[in-house]
Amino acid sequence: MPTFVYMTRCDGCGHCVDICPSDIMHIDKTYRRAYNIEPNMCWECYSCVKACPQNAIDVRGYADFAPLGHSVRVLREEKKGTVSWRLKFRDGREKSFVSPVRTTPWGSIKGPAEYDAPRPEDFARQELAHEPDALNTNQPLPALRPDQLKLGLG
Amino acid sequence: MGLFGGRKTVFVDADILVIGGGMAGCGATYESRYWGRDLKIVCVEKANIERSGAVAQGLYAINCYMGMQWGENRPEDHVRYARNDLMGLVREDLGYDIARHVDSTVHKFEEWGLPIMRDPKTGRYQREGKWQIMIHGESYKPIVAEAARKAATRVYNRIMVTHLLMDSSRKNRVAGAVGFNVRTGDFHVFRAKAVIVSAGGASHIFKPRSVGEGMGRTWYAPWSSASAYGLPIMVGAKMTQMENRIVLTRFKDGYGPVGAYFLHLKTYTQNGYGEEYEKRWYEDTKALVGDYIDRHPVPTCLRNHAILKEVAAGRGPIRMVTKEAF
Amino acid sequence: MLGTNPFAALSASIPPAVMQAYIVLMIVLVAAGTLFDIVHKGSARYFFDNWRKSKGKGTRRLEGAELVSIAVQTGLVDVLASGEFCNARRRVAHLLTMYGFVLYVVSTVVMVFSDSMSDLWPRLWWIGGLMVLVGGYWFWFFIRADVSAEGNSPFRVMQADLFVLSLLASVTLGLIWAAVQARGIAGSPIWFALYVIATTVLFGSVPWSKFAHMFFKPAAAFEKRVTTANGSRSNLPAPVDKPEQFGSARTPPQHY
Repeated sequence: MPTFVYMTRCDGCGHCVDICPSDIMHIDKTYRRAYNIEPNMCWECYSCVKACPQNAIDVRGYADFAPLGHSVRVLREEKKGTVSWRLKFRDGREKSFVSPVRTTPWGSIKGPAEYDAPRPEDFARQELAHEPDALNTNQPLPALRPDQLKLGLG
Repeated sequence: MGLFGGRKTVFVDADILVIGGGMAGCGATYESRYWGRDLKIVCVEKANIERSGAVAQGLYAINCYMGMQWGENRPEDHVRYARNDLMGLVREDLGYDIARHVDSTVHKFEEWGLPIMRDPKTGRYQREGKWQIMIHGESYKPIVAEAARKAATRVYNRIMVTHLLMDSSRKNRVAGAVGFNVRTGDFHVFRAKAVIVSAGGASHIFKPRSVGEGMGRTWYAPWSSASAYGLPIMVGAKMTQMENRIVLTRFKDGYGPVGAYFLHLKTYTQNGYGEEYEKRWYEDTKALVGDYIDRHPVPTCLRNHAILKEVAAGRGPIRMVTKEAF
Repeated sequence: MLGTNPFAALSASIPPAVMQAYIVLMIVLVAAGTLFDIVHKGSARYFFDNWRKSKGKGTRRLEGAELVSIAVQTGLVDVLASGEFCNARRRVAHLLTMYGFVLYVVSTVVMVFSDSMSDLWPRLWWIGGLMVLVGGYWFWFFIRADVSAEGNSPFRVMQADLFVLSLLASVTLGLIWAAVQARGIAGSPIWFALYVIATTVLFGSVPWSKFAHMFFKPAAAFEKRVTTANGSRSNLPAPVDKPEQFGSARTPPQHY
């Protein structure tokens, strides 16, 4: 179901152009509105749909195998930490889903440099950042003994 | 472009260059900063790290979690699982190394804000299968991208790296990369002391049956253009485990990974006559691979093989039966 | 310069009747162009089709009084305050350009059609013109999606730019002409000729430019408010009833 833009709702702000992982949302030269330039490289990831502040982008079935008449629309509310889906089947049945998307405020991740710096001897050890504490096991990081390696060390 | 058109060449020097800002690249950027507090760490991505890579739309499960904190699995168990599923063609040490670190990564994701479903009875992560846990992962990538942005000195979006640069004075040493800004056409030259290539797997090598618009309906992201293979191969890197290739059948028009259907929803397959067909190929497969056919679970490639044989025998198409599940 | 009617000085060489006829012609061109555009694009049919479909999908019927109230809200918020813009910079630039254009046009008409010697209208003409230039050039060089998100050079021109460019040209050339004429610098007729050409392009190219958005957008904004009020919401899910406690990660599109 590649994406398409409702030209009456799009105001040419460029957020979809900015977010598309496939680089297929671009600005039309006649209307300065967004459009999908390559439906067969559209994965329907809905990144542009969620990014559009005007909810101007919708998704339809791939023309070679999906009929029209359905509707799958999403409302991602970043500030509330939720994503809502509204599905309409071709026979009129509807399903709705709401899921959380985040449990902490945007921007609140503690950067790696804010933690205590590793000690010089840590560089030679096998633990990665935050290990072994982040394993939550109160155990050391599991490791192979040299005799367990068929070709030996190094 | 510059104000009056024309393209520039931009030189960027860094200590660590991470090519590719997907899950792997964002993770590499974060890890690099933890160990290199004063280093200049640069991440280069051909799209926008906020939603780039194969996790653009989010995920409903994390497919590899040991659960060591609850005694659920050990890394050795995962190595045995992989060895069985790939019939011995594995680098067990690498598999062990990945398996032992996944738990701490997942715990950090939860700390950062990824909602992970919990089993209401036990309070543990809700499992979908032996190795999978279920998450509300719509914003999985934006969360991890935020961590990468907090770690990188600078993130370059919309720059497609096309070649690695080699050190002119030392043999077999990668010294940087070059790429193009896909918006302005500027040529970027990155020079670095260490380069990490996390530029994405390969999609569309085996095309789906739909070759019109439906070609976008692949399991892996259509924008994964195998740069993680192409970039190092072109400078002579030694690739690991390339002898192990599996081309899993995907079901027409869905093309998604079948784990959710088979494991979670308990769907099953039938041939064109509505018959169960896998047992029919038992002797044939046993002659080919020996007692791997008797393992539990049956290696994925052998189940896949049965599909191919059944179709070649003229009893296709193979259907995934979803009526009971839905 | 700012207080003198530039068209009064012009009436020495061009009869006021001719100037007035030109203005009437421009108004006719806008009306005809918009009507042609509506018919050609089928916009009216699309609008009423959408209207019908949304009424069918809606969960509640809207009364006449409610529709009037929605129309008033559309007028006040979406039209007068350019409320549809989600981005503050774009909204401010549009407000400047929109009100500037209104002042500029109204004061032009008053100055051409009346022989008032008041210095109010020339001042409003200058203020309106300058507002258009500030909002317009700001949009042209920095805010346009094809420049800010696509990375094109600001000097790359496409058909979508016809309206903005002709508007900027008309106002820029008009103000230059008025200044040149008031200061007695040579070449004033040439600037006037360029000004008239730009203005004619602006009002004459309505079928091919985005000029008519000033009529379409209020209709679209009204229709959008109606779909929210009647529950159809264009098939979108309803906003969740949860507090806004997580902040936002959104950045303006500038990634290149």
